[in-house]
Amino acid sequence: MRTLRLLRRRRALLNCAPISHDHLADRPMRAAVSRENGSDEFVNQQNFDRAVAELIRLVPIPPESAEWFLDKEAIRPPRWTWRKIVLNPAVLAISIALVVIAGVFAFHLLGQLNDFPGSATARKLLTVAGSTRSVMLDPVSAEAGTLSDLFFMKHGLEHYDVPDEFADFETIGCRVFDDDESQRIAQIWVAEKHMQFFLFPAERDTKTGAVLTFPGWRYVHQEGWVGAVKQQNGVCFMAVLKGREKDLEPYLSGPKQ
Amino acid sequence: MSDRTQNLPQLYRFCFLMLGDLRKAQEVFNTTLREAAVRAAQGELPKESFWLFREARWRCLEASKMDLQPESLQIDEHDIAPQAASQIKQLEPAQLAIWISAAPDPQRTALALFYLDEFNYLEILDIAELKLSTLSRCLAQGRRQLQAWLDAKHSGAPKE
Repeated sequence: MRTLRLLRRRRALLNCAPISHDHLADRPMRAAVSRENGSDEFVNQQNFDRAVAELIRLVPIPPESAEWFLDKEAIRPPRWTWRKIVLNPAVLAISIALVVIAGVFAFHLLGQLNDFPGSATARKLLTVAGSTRSVMLDPVSAEAGTLSDLFFMKHGLEHYDVPDEFADFETIGCRVFDDDESQRIAQIWVAEKHMQFFLFPAERDTKTGAVLTFPGWRYVHQEGWVGAVKQQNGVCFMAVLKGREKDLEPYLSGPKQ
Repeated sequence: MSDRTQNLPQLYRFCFLMLGDLRKAQEVFNTTLREAAVRAAQGELPKESFWLFREARWRCLEASKMDLQPESLQIDEHDIAPQAASQIKQLEPAQLAIWISAAPDPQRTALALFYLDEFNYLEILDIAELKLSTLSRCLAQGRRQLQAWLDAKHSGAPKE
């Protein structure tokens, strides 16, 4: 049955065997032709086909129709230029989508590059700084550096030390509160440029419990507020003011990132 | 579009073989190309290859619908003779075109496309929207009928 089908297909292919060898389209046709090559019947068929094709090549083209041959460009699809490709609505839409995706990706990447252990807490505290009024704090008039004893004695907070860069600043008030993760946060308000300081526990590795450290000062930004964060002895210190990095820069020493 | 898909002399010959009439062939050829030029100017030229041939084919079939239709007769068929090539050489191209154009479709399309020697069988199947078995039957029958006509024309005696 299968052989019969194959023979029938081969016969069908041979009936369509091309006149020119250039038109041997595919392997089945090549196989059928090469198998039959030389047989009288097939040679007759090929001679017959060639003679008919040669006769057809002699069909004259009237001059009126031949005029079209000179103007082939008229029926060619317009060539794609870069301008056309760029202005194509589909290309334009895809390009805009890709730019937006790339923008969002870059934004997240940059955000992550600026991240450091504790940056999430620091950002939340910038929001706290923005909503705090000085009356909410206990009035304390002292040098900021001396408040670490107060935090230890009164609240049992160890290493809640103000770094040397900010230790001499005169305070207006301070308070200790728990944030939404029950972390003990110390907040100090100083007279200098209405700056606020925050001291909060450094982020720890969830598995080992080890403090995740980072070197020098790191900046965080939130709604027009800027904070400079430094980590020492398992506690993060953040100086905050409403403004930009350059307003905080003069107060910092050591590597800044 | 590649040059093969836009072989205009072959397109004209195709129209001539389909219609067997110079004036009608010219008319269909010109109409097809005018349509293509308008579409090209509007940027709406179909991307499919051999679109011109497909379009010309439908126009030829439409044009010949208006003509007197040949009676459906049992046409003689002869085996291809060894001297067929020399018999064909004695023909005028117009005689052959008239003979092909008188064939019923799809045989007419199959013979016209095949003997242009422009396309391989897969392309013919695509342009004429035929199955291999149909194309094969059209061509085989066409050869045998043409041979019978040649025999009748030259000697009147069929070859065994």
